[in-house]
Amino acid sequence: MEQFLIKRLLDAADSSGINKIFSKGEYLIKDGQVEQSIYFIESGAVRVFHITEFEEQTIRFGYEGSIITSLSSFITGKPSEFYIEALRKTAVKIIPKQLLFEIVNEGPETLHQYNKLLEGLIVQQMEREIDLLTESPIKRLQRVLGRSPNLFQEVPLKYIASYLRMTPETLSRIRNS
Amino acid sequence: MQIENNQLIDELLARMKKCTRSVKGFEALSVGQLQFKNGDRWSILECLEHLNLYGDFYLVEIEKQILTNPRRNTSTKFKSGILGNYFANLMEVKEGKITKMKSPKDKNPSNKDLSIKTINRFLKQQEQLVNLLNQCRSIDLTRTKAAISLTNLVKLRLGDTLRFFCYHIERHVVQAERALAEQHGIVDNKSKSLLQHG
Repeated sequence: MEQFLIKRLLDAADSSGINKIFSKGEYLIKDGQVEQSIYFIESGAVRVFHITEFEEQTIRFGYEGSIITSLSSFITGKPSEFYIEALRKTAVKIIPKQLLFEIVNEGPETLHQYNKLLEGLIVQQMEREIDLLTESPIKRLQRVLGRSPNLFQEVPLKYIASYLRMTPETLSRIRNS
Repeated sequence: MQIENNQLIDELLARMKKCTRSVKGFEALSVGQLQFKNGDRWSILECLEHLNLYGDFYLVEIEKQILTNPRRNTSTKFKSGILGNYFANLMEVKEGKITKMKSPKDKNPSNKDLSIKTINRFLKQQEQLVNLLNQCRSIDLTRTKAAISLTNLVKLRLGDTLRFFCYHIERHVVQAERALAEQHGIVDNKSKSLLQHG
């Protein structure tokens, strides 16, 4: 983790006083809104999902200690195509865009760490792409458990199933076998 | 009925535009208002979810027929079929008519987790519908057939399917508008000028 940068961001968020508690089911951001902040999750958990004409698709989770945002909207300024929803009571530090870039641009160290953060995100995206191309449901589960061993403690089954692109029934069957 | 494709599509698009605008208005309402039920009548969200469930079938079926349609000797004039015309007329919102219909069990929106996401899903379905309607301008709407949600054995002329589907949307959007108006005590609760599902 890019410790120095993260610490700088959290200190700045503390002094700017932007802390919020979301109750279960509350949205950090909704489809159609423009993302203006990144969120550091102090406690609790969130999921990121997208709604199509036919269904709801969970694409990411955020746990304690992670940074989450509607990334494409944050970067492009276009309306978000995703919702971020609190899975239970979640305490969040909100870091507005301007504050983030003030800190990132403080010097070569923070800039370097921001780059590393982004690189990490890109690699995660490619991992996810392979997840989605993986035929075997068992393999898909194994891949995700490898990255997040505590998945089943953090997140309700139906959202894990959606993330893994299988029905909750299939997921139960795999776990029991 | 006999009608030029473009005229039919334009009419349906106009109706759908009104419905979309109406539903967009619902986005500003509170959850309580969206979920409010007047007795057994459907809430706004239930009306929309019912439409979503129909859309799940018909948007897929309509697109399927557009893609597999042969397009030889295509006529751009649509002539209604007997059954299709009957269903379409049944659905159309007309003043002063009393017809209660039971909705099929699998299209029952009750007891479901409904929220603002329901509205969003509906709006996305509307976008897709507009897309499909425009693609239909160059399709033979008489010779191309589409199944109905109840059974694969009955196929209607695509033009009638489009009419039926759009009128159905109109009907339930109007029902949702009533559900909202009733909350302000504007509408007489016993008024029966609309076809409503029980």
